[in-house]
Amino acid sequence: MNPVNEAIQVLKDVGKKAPILEGVSTGIEGLDDLFFTSKIENGKVIKQSLGGIPRYAVINLTGVSDTGKSLLVEQFAIKRAVEGEKVAFVTVETPAAFLSMGLKERAAAMGIDFSVIDENIIIIDAASYHSLREEMPTLLDTLAYAIKTYKIKYTIVDSITGLYEHKEMMARIFVRQLFNFMKKWYQTALFVSQKRSSHEELSAEAAGGYAVSHIVDCTMVLSKKTIQSSYDERMYKRPIGEMVRLFRIDGCRMCGHDTETHFMEITERGLIKIGPTLKELLRSVK
Amino acid sequence: MAILSPEEIRKFDVDATAIRVFLKALEIIGGPRKLIELRNLTWITSLMEASYAIVLADMEHKTEDEIAEFLGLTRQTVRNILRAEPELVLKKLEGELREKTTKAHTAGGLAKLAYKEIKEGRDNLEIFIHALESASQALGIVWPVEVLRRIKGLNFPASIENLRERLAGLVIEGKEAEKILVELSNPVNSPSELLKEMRKAIKGE
Repeated sequence: MNPVNEAIQVLKDVGKKAPILEGVSTGIEGLDDLFFTSKIENGKVIKQSLGGIPRYAVINLTGVSDTGKSLLVEQFAIKRAVEGEKVAFVTVETPAAFLSMGLKERAAAMGIDFSVIDENIIIIDAASYHSLREEMPTLLDTLAYAIKTYKIKYTIVDSITGLYEHKEMMARIFVRQLFNFMKKWYQTALFVSQKRSSHEELSAEAAGGYAVSHIVDCTMVLSKKTIQSSYDERMYKRPIGEMVRLFRIDGCRMCGHDTETHFMEITERGLIKIGPTLKELLRSVK
Repeated sequence: MAILSPEEIRKFDVDATAIRVFLKALEIIGGPRKLIELRNLTWITSLMEASYAIVLADMEHKTEDEIAEFLGLTRQTVRNILRAEPELVLKKLEGELREKTTKAHTAGGLAKLAYKEIKEGRDNLEIFIHALESASQALGIVWPVEVLRRIKGLNFPASIENLRERLAGLVIEGKEAEKILVELSNPVNSPSELLKEMRKAIKGE
């Protein structure tokens, strides 16, 4: 067998082609400062906020149902669109017309005139078109066409789990192919995945298929918890029966990141906000 | 908001890809004439089934059950096709082709080999030339067909030296083919890569 000589490269040469590490603001209050980079100043290493998710990262956003995954990616899409950038939104669960309604609502809640941004969000409706959902080459060729035609920089897939329903044992094959595609086209991508188990609720365990989180650059986990005891009441400062939502970054290979568990809020108008850490809350209780 | 219209969906053509794989597999075993000589055209059916199975499994990630249902085969036959080892198949191909009962793993091995060739841009050259001929006449660009005719039978990846021998004396848009070839990286992986790189060199891209 012939060796693939092209695959062997010296770091110095590869470094010339490496993209610059920079943040992409998400439009989600409290999230952008959870990613860091390091700088050397006067011989000391200084931690510096990236000001958003790392550009060109492929991020897996996972959580059980009703934790705010779709809201979060919609908010991100609107934020990028209002900055004048093009976003591809591959909707696998909600048909385009209904997604559009949700995006309008979200934009209004964010105080953004929808007509200013609607040209910048390009919806690929895999929920309505069977071939986009069932045939990976059709989805990827269509996405490549959209990226070239509309000069798209950001891709959202909600959800990747919908692409391999009834064959989750093949999840890694699907996700790997999507991941490689995003890298080839220099996309900053958010993949929503449906977490199948609440057993390890703040980890990527069972995040939309077996070991999927190993493929992506970064995983963010959303979870929810019902206050059921007086201990919970004291701990979370909420009354019995109420629901609290939690957020955690479960690894990011592209840059430094916060590792704490944070409170997460979904406002009445449906906006996501990342709040203080559990540690900070406990300190305030004491 | 832009919603991609049905016309903008780039539908993957399973049938066309399966046929390309089938034609390549047929080329690998020596063409239909070889099967006619052996009085064994029954291989055609097995090769077509195997070509579909490989494309559906690799491109569309269909499960064995889904492929079996689509092709009207048993799951075990599909499994034999998908688990075939191309290298082993080639070693005993001549004997296998003489047998009256076709074997799923042999057809599978051939289809896998053909699929790999297709992915690397090496289609059945006879058919490629044939299809290109009428298209090139319509577009008024005839040199690609002439280049392909001349390289018939050449194994790819092909060295620039071998290509130079085949294209000796050919002049394309006022440039000598041999001079164009000098600008290409050695070796050239497939006929389609050869045409693409030659076009770039001619246009000075």
